[in-house]
Amino acid sequence: MTALLALLRRDLYVASRNAAMLLTAGLTQPILVVLVFGNVLPRLHLVADEFRTVMLPGLMAISMLMAGVQGVLMPLMTDLAGTREVDERLLAPVTVFGVAAEKVAAGAIHAALAGLVTLPAMMLLMHGVMGAEVHPRWLALLPLVLLAGILSAALGLTLGTHVQPRFSGLLFAVVIGPLMLFGCAYYPWASLTALGAVRYLFLLNPLTFMSEAMRLAVTPDIPHMPLPLLLLGLVGFGALFTLLGTRSFAKRTIL
Amino acid sequence: MSAILSVQDLVKTYPGTRKSPPVEAVRGISFEVAQGEFFGLLGPNGAGKSTTLGCITTLVRPTSGRIVVDGVDVARHPMEAKRRIAVVPQSRNLDRDLTVREVLTYHGRYFGLPAAEREARADRLLRELQVAEKADAKPLTLSGGMQQRVMIARALMHDPKVLLLDEPTTGLDPQARRLLWDTLRGLHRGGLTLILTTHYMEEADRLCERLAIVDHGRILTIDTPAALKRTLPGGQILDVWVHGGGTLAPRLGGLPGVLRVEKVERAEDEEGGERLRLFVDPGDGLLDRVLQTVRAGGGDLRHVSLTAPSLEDVYIHLTGKELRE
Repeated sequence: MTALLALLRRDLYVASRNAAMLLTAGLTQPILVVLVFGNVLPRLHLVADEFRTVMLPGLMAISMLMAGVQGVLMPLMTDLAGTREVDERLLAPVTVFGVAAEKVAAGAIHAALAGLVTLPAMMLLMHGVMGAEVHPRWLALLPLVLLAGILSAALGLTLGTHVQPRFSGLLFAVVIGPLMLFGCAYYPWASLTALGAVRYLFLLNPLTFMSEAMRLAVTPDIPHMPLPLLLLGLVGFGALFTLLGTRSFAKRTIL
Repeated sequence: MSAILSVQDLVKTYPGTRKSPPVEAVRGISFEVAQGEFFGLLGPNGAGKSTTLGCITTLVRPTSGRIVVDGVDVARHPMEAKRRIAVVPQSRNLDRDLTVREVLTYHGRYFGLPAAEREARADRLLRELQVAEKADAKPLTLSGGMQQRVMIARALMHDPKVLLLDEPTTGLDPQARRLLWDTLRGLHRGGLTLILTTHYMEEADRLCERLAIVDHGRILTIDTPAALKRTLPGGQILDVWVHGGGTLAPRLGGLPGVLRVEKVERAEDEEGGERLRLFVDPGDGLLDRVLQTVRAGGGDLRHVSLTAPSLEDVYIHLTGKELRE
């Protein structure tokens, strides 16, 4: 346990030292999206004013997903393929599952912070703009952000241990891209009734539950997925990817 | 001799995939290392040295066999075993996000050292391994030799009983290599048990008190470097390279003073060329007799050399080939 906490401490220490870089990496995209879709396009009457309220929680979810990708997936992929810094961790008095679990924990904290930082940044950006109805329910937000963070870190662990670095370009094109577009980030799940039964396909995307969770916590006035289904999705996918990720991590590290 | 490490009947077979057959990396290796000993595993790349080391350090799961470190069964109690060993891996894997000093202190944290102790120990090791002036630098800005010494300092942070080094001098320039040898000798004098894998004969000869020569996943022999050299027949080695001699080997073998003839394979040999290694007891007229025999056999002598046997000769004698590099 001492070793696990020390590993976590090391990760948080390094992250805090790189805070400026991580913030820039995490905030630039959502800010630009908010500027274009929340400010420019509505002024040109190309999108409805409500769109900005709909997409704000979605952008939080995307920030968290990307934090999981940047914080766990990419470093893990290069480490397993070459630098092998992970070997030092495996030689510490921890089990291989402990090392994997620590990666999920550190990634979850990183992702949760990314989500929490994105929210005020966007609220500030849309302050006083018509049609932005953001009323965060902080008590609901914190646990949901943490669950969503665990899910995105676990997804990063699973993908990072399954994908070779030479396929990372493909990974973004065929996995991360579709996840972001079909994850209810830019439209609420409730509105998908218009698609009929096809809408259930969106439930295969973990981002759907993250987006809807943020919707419930940040813009409660907008229709959102009921809490039990939401929790089932977050916890279910989180557990599944943690299991898959730790198993393949063990396979890749202990020969 | 009280063994601090014992490896018994170690076997590791990497399972095959659809594209590749299973690989028998280690096929039944056994050896013991005494407390305070400097032990070496010598062999070509792919002989099974690193896999053996991996099994001792818990990073490779043995297919069968038993490894005990300081009374602890590695497979049954990996946590306890990991506290007793330290590894300097083949690839330089220092934490690139920390400074050199932090690399050491965080390693101390992983092993639960209290703050005062890990700071003091980091100070001492930075000094002893001559990397103190780089304490606040990032590891990647250091030369290869310095990174290697930082990895040794890191390994020593948790005060291990056995230090394992996997080809520590590969890729180092001669000066850095010598400095590293001095460092390792110093640690050995201080009472630490060291286990080293290498494919450099000179390194094994100079450093190790006992050596296991490994090839194709098996140990061919274990002894002190001096004793290994004594196992060669005769006192000296006569290398004879001929061209077009046909069947010279048996004729040379029949000469008085020649105890044994071996053919040495080399990939780059031209067609029709042959390298023969004669284990000889040199006496009057031996070279003359060899020369005459070669000429009489229609051979064209290209090179002759007479040397005292080295570890390399032992290796060639055992495996019939030069060490692959």
